[in-house]
Formats: sequence, C-alpha cells, structure tokens
Amino acid sequence: MSLKIIETCVNCFACEPLCPSKAIYEAKPHFLIDSKKCTECEGDFAVPQCATICPIEGAILDALGVALNPPGSLTGIPPEKMAEAMAELQAH
Amino acid sequence: MELPVLNEKPASQGGCSAGSCGSTDDQLNHLSDEIKAKVQNHPCYSEDAHHYFARMHVAVAPACNIQCHYCNRKYDCANESRPGVVSELLTPDQAVKKTMAVAANIPQMTVLGIAGPGDPLANPERTFETFRRLSKEAPDIKLCVSTNGLSLPESVEELAKHNIDHVTITINCVDPEIGAKIYPWIFWENRRIKGKKAAKILIEQQQKGLEMLVAKGILVKVNSVMIPGVNDKHLAEVSRIVKAKGAFLHNVMPLIAEAEHGTFYGVMGQRGPTGAELQALQDDCSGDMNMMRHCRQCRADAVGMLGEDRGDEFTMDKIELMDIDYEAAMEKRKVIHQAIEAEMNSKRAQKSEFAEQIAQEPKLTTRPVLMAVATSGQGVINVHFGHAKEFLIYEASPDGVRFISHRKADLYCGGDSTCGDGESVLQTTIRSLEGCEAVLCSKVGFEPWEMLENAGIMPNGEHAMEPIEEAVMSVYKEMAKNGKLDEIILHNRATA
Repeated sequence: MSLKIIETCVNCFACEPLCPSKAIYEAKPHFLIDSKKCTECEGDFAVPQCATICPIEGAILDALGVALNPPGSLTGIPPEKMAEAMAELQAH
Repeated sequence: MELPVLNEKPASQGGCSAGSCGSTDDQLNHLSDEIKAKVQNHPCYSEDAHHYFARMHVAVAPACNIQCHYCNRKYDCANESRPGVVSELLTPDQAVKKTMAVAANIPQMTVLGIAGPGDPLANPERTFETFRRLSKEAPDIKLCVSTNGLSLPESVEELAKHNIDHVTITINCVDPEIGAKIYPWIFWENRRIKGKKAAKILIEQQQKGLEMLVAKGILVKVNSVMIPGVNDKHLAEVSRIVKAKGAFLHNVMPLIAEAEHGTFYGVMGQRGPTGAELQALQDDCSGDMNMMRHCRQCRADAVGMLGEDRGDEFTMDKIELMDIDYEAAMEKRKVIHQAIEAEMNSKRAQKSEFAEQIAQEPKLTTRPVLMAVATSGQGVINVHFGHAKEFLIYEASPDGVRFISHRKADLYCGGDSTCGDGESVLQTTIRSLEGCEAVLCSKVGFEPWEMLENAGIMPNGEHAMEPIEEAVMSVYKEMAKNGKLDEIILHNRATA
C-alpha cells in the first residue's frame, strides 16, 4: 500500500515535510515516495497529507494508479474548458 | 495608529500644504521620521526611491498552502514577468551567495525580498535560514517578505527576530463570499478546505497577522489584486479596514490573466481591469490611505531596478565563478548609497522649491492632462522613445504634477531581428499610451513622431535630462498658453 508521485510533479517541496513516515524524498527529475515507508497516512491522519497539499492535479496516484486529485478538482477549471483553451492556443 | 492621508487627489479648492504640491510622489514628507528612515531607500515602498534603488527576490520558497485563481503552480518561463514565476529555485545557501553577488555588482541594490514562488511562510525553514544568514553576513541589506497571510500569525515572532521590518500581505477581500471566488482551497490543519469556509479562515489569519505585525512595529504593506466583477467594488472597503488596523501602504494591482498562463481566471476568460478602471479604484482608495502606484508585479526571482530584470546575469553557474569580497563591497556600497541619498535629497529640495514656485504663480483653470515619460531613473527624462521598455504616466493639472502609473511598452527598436515587424510593435506601443496627450523622451525618431502625432499624442524631445515634474509642468503650461486645453478632446480621455 503506497502512493506514488509521477512526472507532472513540479518539485514544490510542499508534501515532503508533511509526510508522517518520512517516505517522501527529493529526487531528479521529481520527488518520489519510498513505497516501503508509505502508509498512506493511516493511523496518523484522516487523509494522505501529500495529496492534500499537492497543488497539481494528477501528480499523486494511489496503489491502483488512480489520481487522488483528478482533473478540475483543484483548480476548478472544467477539464473540457482547459482542453478547449489549450487547443485554441495551439492553433495560433 | 492613525495614518496620514497621502497621494490624494489634489484638493479641488487648491491651496496645497507643505512642499508636496508639485508632486504627490514625495510621500515621505508626511511620515514620521522613523518610518521615513525605514522606507527612504526601499524601491517597493517609496515611489521616489524606485528611481534610484534596486531590489532583488530570491526564489527559496516553492511550497504554497493555498491556491489562488490567478496563479498556476506549473508555470516557469524565462520570458514571463509576473509573481509566482521563477527560472531557478535556490537553496538558502545559494540564495545567500546570489544576494551577496548582486549586492557587490549592483551597489544600488538595497533590498532583498523573499516572495515565492510559493508562499515564503509556508517554507519557514528555507525562508528563515536565508534571513538568518543574510542578517549576519550582509547586514547592510534590508530584508522583507511577502505572504498570503495564512501562516502569518505563527511567524510574527520569528520575523521580528530577524529584523525584518517590511512585510507585504496580499489581501484581496475581507468577505468570505468574495474570497470563495478567488481562492479555491487552502491547506489548513492537515486538511484541504474549500469554498467560503476556506476563505473565512484565510481572511481571519490575514487580519490577525496584520494586527500582530503592527503591534510589533513592523511596517506592513497590503497588496490587493483588482479582479473586475469579483472584488473591484469591495477593495475600497478593504483599504479602509487595513488602514484602520495600521497598514502603512496599499498597493492595488491589476489582475494578470491570459489563457496561456493556464490559470483559472486566464482559462475561464476573466478579464483584467483597464488602466482607467485601475486608476479610478486607486483614486477611490487614496481618500483613505497612502496608495502605491509604481508596483511592477515582479517575478519571484527578479533582480535590478523595478521594471528591469537582470536575473540572467546572476544565474547560479555564473555566481559560482564570481569571487566576492563582501567587506570591500560593503564599503563601496556605503559610499554609493550616501551619494544617491544626497542626490535624492537635492532633487527633493528642488522639487519642493518648484512646488512653492507653482503655488505662487496665478492659478490656471485648465483641465488635467496625462503625459507619458521615458526614464531609466534618477528622476529625469533620459530615454529615447524607441528604447523605452515602459513609460511612466503623470497627470498635470493646475494643482501640480502627480505620478499615476506605469505602462509597459514593446521595444520596437530592438535591433535587426525584430526590425521586420517593427512597425506593428510601434503601433502597439502607441496604443499603450492611449489617454496621454504628450510623450516626453530624450529623443523621438521621425517615424514614431509622425505616428504619435496622428494618434493625437504630442511627441516632445525638448526636455532631455530635465527633472520629470518640471518638464511635465512646462509642457502643460505651454499647452495652456497655446489654447490646447480649451479644445474638446475627440479621441483621448484624461485617464490612465
């Protein structure tokens, strides 16, 4: 049972000091979670701390590979609106 | 603490007090000696000082504890200049090295700020380690910090310990209903909190932090982002409240929102305010307090004078090669600072003399006029029109000259690579001067001269190297004499 940080991580350091198991470490090109140490905060907090402060949607996955913060959940930007804006920018 | 009212619109009945009439930018005259001493060489706190002194930000604070709808944490671009953007994250040790390298090479740099790219107080170890070392190793540099305020109350003791006497809090609202439209979430007591509840906590923390800082005698500036349709009608109330609590300066900044930034406001099409809207709100708030109008909304790793960024000269790989003798640099800096202060003081004396002179002349009854000025500092007109990266906008009226705002210009005369489409860039620059009736530069080329005239903006290169206020007033008087101020203006309105 472990969470995972993927390549969309922006290396903001916010999660690292919050981890009760000291499972998060700085690495290149982005922070990583030591799966042997990660407890998903069970017994320490009601919610996994890294995913609770992470500002990037989709950067932290659960053991099943599902994003804890899915698209639109943090920014409030509807995913279709984001896709539309990005498509328009690329067209220019 | 009762605040003096500064940078107000000149009273309509005329009759100006003290020596500030010629230019309201000389805000320092109204302040206590103690505050004066603290801000007189701080470019972000004194409009006057920003013509002479430089600042830098070190990007040591990447983490943030809230999300704002005008911010995108993924953004990192060398060509983009706005808060929250950096090219290179620094460790405290690198930040100390960089600060000392810049201080030695740009001796007019007086201020080191930590402003992000996240929230400095959400990175207490990195932020305070940097301050701790700098206050010891570079004691001639003023330290300041900006914050969203969420962690401010718990940080006040530590801030006071490091002799940080300038703190900027970004306060966009005092009403959770409005806050919920600006802040989608905060991280608070190990949970992510959303909506009105989140905004309420943030607002309470900001206000509490403000009160605690004022109680400690720390100078507080309040920044507010003006978001049309969201908090624009609300900011005058914010201004009143933060003033009553003892904030010393209020800085209302325009929202920056472009779809390509990927922010909520950018993608959702929220517009920023027009120059006229921003000025109207600043004037509205200035009845209550000292307004800052010269903010350039710097990046979290900006280096140099406000409006310029010399960050490229001080990347970590370049700094590692520099050999800095800080003791020697401090000696040199001291001499240079004294010379700059002497120059500032003589310019101030000159300004008040000029203001007195105006007060004694028969008063004009003409309408106010906006003029654009090209300057690279020292309070004089000293930049060629085509080389201006920005223009300062001044208002001339029978009451005197006051600084209004700055406007970015696109460099059209940037050398071979950009000359191809130079003309369209020139057009953009001229459009950015909309509302101005004259532009004062050290020189204006033939082509822009004609285009400026066609746009109803009078080009003027006759006042090169003259003090800004005197030159603006002289052009204004000439316009009055020539009957230009009696005409009905067709394509220009006197707003910035």
